Amino acid sequence: MNIHEYQAKKLLSKFGILIPNGKIAYTPHEAKRAANEVSARGPWMLKAQIQSGAREKGYFLEKSSGKKGGMLIPEAEQMLGATLVTPQTGPLGKPVSRIYVEAFQKVQQKFYAALIINRVQAELTLLVAKLDDGRTITQVAAETPELILKLPLNLQKGVSIAQMREVRDFLGISEKSDKHLKSFVNGLHKAFIEYDASMIEINPFGVDYRGRIFALDAKMSFDDNAAYRHPDIVRLQDEYEEEDRALKARKYGFKYNDFDDSGVGCIVNGDGITLAAMDLIHEAKMGLACALNVKGGVDKDKIAAGIKIIMTNPKVEGILINILGGFLRCNLIADGIVEAASEVGLNVPLVVRFEGTNKDEAKDILLNSKLPLIIADDMEDSVDKLVSAVEAAY
Amino acid sequence: MSVFANKDTKVLVQGITGTQASFHVRRSLEYGTNIVAGVTPGKGGTEHLGLPVFNTVKEAVEQTGANASVLFVPAKAVKGAVTEAAEAGLDLAVCITDGVPVLDMLQIKEMLKSHKTLLIGPNTPGLITPEEARLGIFPENIHQKGHIGIVSRSSTLTYEAVLETNRANMGQSTVIGLGDDMVIGSDYIPSLDAFAQDDETDAILLIGQQGGGFEEAAAMHYKTMEIKKPVIAFVAGNSIPFAHKMGYAGEVIADGKTSVIDKRNAMLDAGMIVVDEINQIHQVLLDILS
Repeated sequence: MNIHEYQAKKLLSKFGILIPNGKIAYTPHEAKRAANEVSARGPWMLKAQIQSGAREKGYFLEKSSGKKGGMLIPEAEQMLGATLVTPQTGPLGKPVSRIYVEAFQKVQQKFYAALIINRVQAELTLLVAKLDDGRTITQVAAETPELILKLPLNLQKGVSIAQMREVRDFLGISEKSDKHLKSFVNGLHKAFIEYDASMIEINPFGVDYRGRIFALDAKMSFDDNAAYRHPDIVRLQDEYEEEDRALKARKYGFKYNDFDDSGVGCIVNGDGITLAAMDLIHEAKMGLACALNVKGGVDKDKIAAGIKIIMTNPKVEGILINILGGFLRCNLIADGIVEAASEVGLNVPLVVRFEGTNKDEAKDILLNSKLPLIIADDMEDSVDKLVSAVEAAY
Repeated sequence: MSVFANKDTKVLVQGITGTQASFHVRRSLEYGTNIVAGVTPGKGGTEHLGLPVFNTVKEAVEQTGANASVLFVPAKAVKGAVTEAAEAGLDLAVCITDGVPVLDMLQIKEMLKSHKTLLIGPNTPGLITPEEARLGIFPENIHQKGHIGIVSRSSTLTYEAVLETNRANMGQSTVIGLGDDMVIGSDYIPSLDAFAQDDETDAILLIGQQGGGFEEAAAMHYKTMEIKKPVIAFVAGNSIPFAHKMGYAGEVIADGKTSVIDKRNAMLDAGMIVVDEINQIHQVLLDILS
C-alpha cells in the first residue's frame, strides 16, 4: 500500500523529520492561497501528487499542459486535471487530481536515503548515497553499487552512534549536522516500525547552510499484512491510484496484474506458477493480458467474482486456468468458473488444468456444466491447447 | 531416511480447531502422520479429531512428547505461537498461515537466534515425507516415496516439481515449501545441508522465484559444501519484462542483482544444473541418475 508524498511528509514530520512548509491544493484557487500560506515571497515548488517515482522525468499527455513534467511547472491550472506520464506510470500516465504547494528549500548538498528490509538477512537496512553526479539512484545501483552505503539497523534501537558517523563520513556531511542527521535517521526508523512500513525512500534529502536536514521528497509503502493495525493509514489510500480491476480483485482478497498486451488471461494460485505460465505463453509467442492470483481463496462466491474480472476484460482472447490445489480446493474453483460463466457468458476459449486437492471432483463439475471448455493434463499441455483454441477462434 | 520429519516425528497442531486446520489435519492423520496433540488456547481438556487438545504448547509437549508443530493459527497470532513453540523446545515449526506482518517476522527471526527451533514458512504448503508424514497442506495424492529432495520458494511450482520426479519414476525423499513471503523462517541452506546428510536423497531440486537474494545465497553456500549432491535448479520468471509490476522494484537498489538471469548465473557458477523450463527436470534426472 502506498500513500502520496504530502501524506508521507506529514507523517514523517511527526517523528522529528524536517520538511519544507507545504500545503495540498485541489483547485488553482486553493493553490494560490496555499502558496501565500507556506511562504510569503516564494519561490514555490508545485508538485503533482501521483504515486510514482521519477516525476521530474515525466511529461503531460495534454499539449496545453506544457512539455515539462511533474514538479516544476509553475501554473497549477495547467497541472490539475492533466495526465502525467513518468518512466514508472506506463504510457497511459496518471491523472493529477491534487498538487502539493511547497516553499522552495535551498540546500547545499543532496543525498539519497531509504529504509528497506533485507529479505535474506531478515534485517532492517539503511541505504544512503550521494547524488552529486546527475545520475539517478537506480543508475548508481546498477553501475556503481559500491557508492551506496548499506547498514543493518537494530530493530529496537535503530542506528548506533558508530553507524551515524559512518553515514556522515561516507556522505561527506559536516560534523555540525550530527544532531540533525541523528534525528533524521532515528525519525525514519521510528516511523518505519510504528507504522509497519515496507519501505521509506527519501529521494532526495538536503542539507542547508546551517547543517539542518530536510526531506525534500518522501515515498512510503506499507505492509498490507499489517494494515489491520493501522486504520489511519488505510484511510489515506487513494483508490483512484489503483486500476479498477486490481481494486476489485483486492476487495475479494486476490492479486490482479494487468499487462500491456492483449492475449491470455491467466487464473492461477501462486506467484511462482504465474511466472512459469507467463514463460510458456511468452515462448508460444502469445501476448499476456492479465493474471489473477486466487491463492488463499476458500469462498466460492469470491472466486466467481474474481473469475468474472478476467472474463469481462476485453483484452482477454483466451483464458488459462491453472490450479494446483492444496489449501485451495479445485472443486471450489470449478464451482466459481461455472457460476461466473453463467452470469457473464463465456465468449473466449477457456482451458482448465487442475492438479491436487479434489481435482477429480472439480473435473466432474466442469464436465457436467456443459460449458464449452477444454480440460488439459499439465501446464505445457494447457498452453498448447489454449494456443490452438485461440488460433482457431480468431 | 528423510529430512526434518518422518513417521517417528511427534507432531502437534497449533490452531487445530479451525475449519481449514480440521480439514487438513484429518487428511494428514489418514495419511499416517504421527499427530499426537492439538493446541488451542481456551480449549484445553477437550478432544478434537480424536486428539487431546491443550491450552499451551508446553503442556502438550509435557503430556505427549511432541517435537514438531504445524501452525494454522490466524496471522495476528503467529508471533506469539512461534515464540511458544520455540520456548517449548520443539525441533521444527511449520507455519502454514499467510498474511503475517513483515515486522512480526523480523522479530520472530531475531527471537529464533537463541532457540534451536527450525521455522519453515510462513505462507507455505508445508513439508511432506511421502508415506510417512504430512505437515501442512500438500496434496498428498501426487506424492511418491523416493530419492529426490525438493526445496522450493514457490508453493504451486513445488507441485510441478513433484510431478517431474514422478515422471522420472524417482519419487521424493522429502518435499519442503519455504514460503514466498518477504521474510521467511528458513531459506534454502538448512534444507541443502539436511539433504546432503540424508542417505535416501540422491539429488536435490531447488525451485526458485524472482526477488530476494535467496537463490544467490544458496549458490554461495553450495560452493562451500563438502558433500555435493547434484542440485537441479529452476527459477520462474524468465520472460518477465515487467519485474516492477510484480512488486520487486525496491530491491533493485538494495541488492543490485535480483533478476532471474542473475540468479541463474550465480547457480550455474556454483555448479548447479539450471533448467530453462520446469518440464525439463525429469529428463535431467534420468540423464544424471541412471
